[in-house]
Amino acid sequence: MAYVEAGKTRPGEMAARSSTPALSLRDVSVVFGAATNRPVLTDISFDVREGEFLCIVGPSGCGKTTLLRMLAGLHAPTSGAIEFGGKPIRGPSRERAIVFQDYNNALLPWRTVADNIALPLERHVASRAERDERVAALISKMKLEHAARQFPPQLSGGMQQRVQIARCLAQRPRMMLMDEPFGALDAITRQTLQDELMALSAEQRTTTVFITHDLEEAIYLGDRVFVLAANPGRLIETIEVGLPRPRNQLTTREDQKFLAHRHRLFGLLQGH
Amino acid sequence: MKTIMRFLPPVLFAAGLLALWYVATDLRLVSPVFLPTPARTFDEIASRFADGSIWASIGATVWRMVLGWLLASLVGVALGAAIGLTPLARDLLEPTLEFLRPLPASAMIPVAILFFGLSEEMAVSVIAFGSIWPVLMSSIFGFGSVRVRLREVSSLLGLTRWEFLRKIAAPSAMPDILSGMRSGLAISLILAVVTEMQASLPGLGRDIFLAQRSFRGAELYAGLIMLGVIGVLINHGLQLAERRLLRWRPGRA
Repeated sequence: MAYVEAGKTRPGEMAARSSTPALSLRDVSVVFGAATNRPVLTDISFDVREGEFLCIVGPSGCGKTTLLRMLAGLHAPTSGAIEFGGKPIRGPSRERAIVFQDYNNALLPWRTVADNIALPLERHVASRAERDERVAALISKMKLEHAARQFPPQLSGGMQQRVQIARCLAQRPRMMLMDEPFGALDAITRQTLQDELMALSAEQRTTTVFITHDLEEAIYLGDRVFVLAANPGRLIETIEVGLPRPRNQLTTREDQKFLAHRHRLFGLLQGH
Repeated sequence: MKTIMRFLPPVLFAAGLLALWYVATDLRLVSPVFLPTPARTFDEIASRFADGSIWASIGATVWRMVLGWLLASLVGVALGAAIGLTPLARDLLEPTLEFLRPLPASAMIPVAILFFGLSEEMAVSVIAFGSIWPVLMSSIFGFGSVRVRLREVSSLLGLTRWEFLRKIAAPSAMPDILSGMRSGLAISLILAVVTEMQASLPGLGRDIFLAQRSFRGAELYAGLIMLGVIGVLINHGLQLAERRLLRWRPGRA
């Protein structure tokens, strides 16, 4: 409940710092291995607006995961500057949560669903009652009521990914980073989670960077879509999606604009 | 019906062995000095339970074994965590451990006697020395193979080193720690008996030793059977504890 209220206070904050982008990258390059000098990403520059839902698509090997790991602070750029809220990113921070694709590795299999979600709260929320309340709210928000006392390995992939998203929400991040979160799920579960994520994002206005190799997913979810090309990884196109919200799995995907974006992106990725 | 079918063959096999024992001694195929009849052996066990004298022996052996085993587990897990998690500790300690590991624990008995005399401390230190290795090795492996993703989750959430150890690394290494502790317990029972025989400390091991010295066959075999029973019970208890601690593992409920 408290989190919904926090979400509501966001527009005011947004106005206050509308001049500063939530996230800004300037000429960011990454080279792997001092000996081989293999460029992974070259001269990436972009801004992400406060509350924006940004999708990044690209073929495998284009460095999109490396890019996301830099935003999380798990990896440092070889050159260039990354600023979050006007300050350079120097390492991981609880302000930026990351949802990994491999939920089965990212969850603690020996903890129940509820205890997994409680992990980020343990040192930071002293009151046991408040902790329980926040966990219960996230459990109901992510529709995990029936699984609360189960262990992650006992759950389906979709449910496990819900748990990971809930755990990230528990830390109340200012930015959500998602690394192909639905890539390992079946089509039906993927659509359900896409819609739940969009509802969540509409409610909380948390800035989100979402990585996927699924073009339609990128258009369906994003305010903007960035296209990365491989060898070396570079930004080749930015698309303003401009589709009305709330979006709908059927009608949005049949929208002329959606189809036009899809053609454009498909062509871009074919060419590389 | 299914459970009967599952338990019947092993029970029949054990009963067959008992019958063989009975026949071998009844027909005097083996001298009763080497192998007493089952009846005499079980009488011996029954009478030692009846006069209560067996509890002192069982207690002494089990106590010594458990103390040595706990000491080994404590030190083994602590060292294993240090070596598994920090390259510095690994570089520092591993060569020494590689030298100590192949030493038979029984070869340490004279050293332990030099330091502690024919005492409980001697026995416990030898038991601990012998049973630390499986715990240590599996702890090193367990702590060394904490998933990279979980390390990342831990640093993303800003967990302290201690929190990482307690909330991520230790539970993640727990299956390995427990299997190492189970192997260690088997070794500690062996060494409890060996030290009793060597240093004439009270316990089932000394009972067996003295029975053999004075050709009291029934007593000897009674002691062996009791050791077997202890081994089975302890292993079973540990399995139960393991199942409880690792109940999150799929296919193990």
